[in-house]
Amino acid sequence: MPGIGKMSLDNMFCTRCGDGFETNEKIVNSNGELWHTNCFVCAQCFRVFPDGVYYDFEGRKYCERDFQVLFAPCCGKCREFVIGRVIKAMNANWHPACFRCEECNMELADAGFIKNAGRALCHGCNTRIKADGLQNYMCHKCHGVIDGEPLRYRGEVYHGYHFTCATCGVELDHTAREVKNRPGYAANDVNNLFCLRCHDKMGIPICGACRRPIEERIVTALGKHWHVEHFVCAKCEKPFHGHRHYEKKGLAYCEQHYHQLFGNLCYVCNQVIAGDVFTALNKAWCVHHFSCSVCDTALSTRSKFYEYDERPACRRCYERFPAELRRRLRRAHHYTLRRN
Amino acid sequence: MSKAKKVIEEAKEINNPEIDLVDKGISSLDEIPGLFSLENITRLTLSHNKLQVVPAGLANLMNLEILNLTNNHIEELPVSLSSLPKLRILNVSLNRLYALPRGFGAFPVLEILDCTYNNLKETTLPGNFFMMESLRALYLGDNDFEYLPAEIGNLKNLQILSMRENDLIEVPRELGQLTRLRELHLQGNRLVVLPPEIGFLELASNKSVLRLEGNFWVPPIEDQLKLGPSHVLDYLRSETYRVLYSRHMSAKPPPPPQTLDKSKKASRMR
Repeated sequence: MPGIGKMSLDNMFCTRCGDGFETNEKIVNSNGELWHTNCFVCAQCFRVFPDGVYYDFEGRKYCERDFQVLFAPCCGKCREFVIGRVIKAMNANWHPACFRCEECNMELADAGFIKNAGRALCHGCNTRIKADGLQNYMCHKCHGVIDGEPLRYRGEVYHGYHFTCATCGVELDHTAREVKNRPGYAANDVNNLFCLRCHDKMGIPICGACRRPIEERIVTALGKHWHVEHFVCAKCEKPFHGHRHYEKKGLAYCEQHYHQLFGNLCYVCNQVIAGDVFTALNKAWCVHHFSCSVCDTALSTRSKFYEYDERPACRRCYERFPAELRRRLRRAHHYTLRRN
Repeated sequence: MSKAKKVIEEAKEINNPEIDLVDKGISSLDEIPGLFSLENITRLTLSHNKLQVVPAGLANLMNLEILNLTNNHIEELPVSLSSLPKLRILNVSLNRLYALPRGFGAFPVLEILDCTYNNLKETTLPGNFFMMESLRALYLGDNDFEYLPAEIGNLKNLQILSMRENDLIEVPRELGQLTRLRELHLQGNRLVVLPPEIGFLELASNKSVLRLEGNFWVPPIEDQLKLGPSHVLDYLRSETYRVLYSRHMSAKPPPPPQTLDKSKKASRMR
């Protein structure tokens, strides 16, 4: 080592014990730091590094075994230490090759994964399982796997047979209904499970849109009951939230879309007609906006008017039209009379 | 004091936002001092007068929502008109317009435009005419259109279109894009076929109007028309018609003759 050769032994000291070195003593030089061979040992077990392999971590040197024991993550599958790339997922560490789809065993490290009922799945398997509806739920009570549909209760899934109907005592299955609150019942009485029969007998209304029982505010309209947020305009699908709705052919619409679709906007102001509607010539008017389209003079319900491109023209204006135009309008009028 | 002046004075006194100057024999708006200073008015009706010029100063009436200039002698409109920020209804029917000014389509909120009975045609419309997306009614009856520009498809809010008694030889397929159209007047033109797309518009309901008479329809359309416009729409949707239409469009037969004698039109008087 040329570097050491130039240095004098008098000012060379061991990094660990601080003592100097004997002439002809073997010296370890690691990155410019000098050690007695006996001092160059693992910071944990004080033994010489096997094959000279050591791990430098936070200024200390460890043998491979101690470094792994102390610091290296442990693979969630093979329980071996993970050196190199660590996959952190599902609250554990993994070798890239050990983190695989629990359905098809595909490596997930680079493909990404989806957590499905506590299992890591590749995108393909997740989609398939979701579609199959074969998710294996784990019962929150016995921690056993649930075959088929689970019973949902207080946000968890259970085997139906852990529960009985609060009214008739029959053993329940997944069709049981949870009742969260009922008018006239104290808080202790609610959040109970009922079999379908007993539930139906309690007369809890079913939402016309989602077919689930309504336990909060009920909207009654169109001969059905609705969750407040499920009673929506048939056109824009926004909930009415107590605002006025308009019914047409068994459907409900908000004011704007009802008038847009069924044409009760005033021809002149293009606004929803608030008061009486004047209907003529396939159009509608606010009563005070119904006027001659030529001179803007208001027309009353009894005024005589002429049709001109499906708009009203008062008699005075019609008579001021060019004679040849009047002749053509007359001819067109006779044509329509003949037709109808 | 002239009748017109009296109307203005009265309007000022009671702060009337709607001015009626119908059939007052007015030949120039300069005769009515103080009119352009009535900035609060929302409607100005000048039907049945003798106006030849619409002064650019009319655009001072910033609050105008309705401007009615029916039956005058107007040959030209000012460019400034399109800058009226609140104008919803503009009626310039029964005038002598041969063209519309450059940039006419810049109206920000125009809903009804009535240009009936003038001398307009597709070549004299300004480039931005079909940019008026707010339009819900467009009346171009009694004019000289031979073709309806395809840009008509831009007017997405159009509910009423009247092309009554023009010289239309063809209407574009783009008309089928006007899904809100409930009133279509095509009577008295030189049409032979209709684009099949028209068949999908909601023009057959009891609140809709479809006028097709007085054209040169191919016999199958003419036969359906005898039964009623809704039968024509049914037929337009058929596969038979689709074939007929594409054959007709590729054969391009010469257009039917011009039949309307327009020389007597009042709009042609000089």
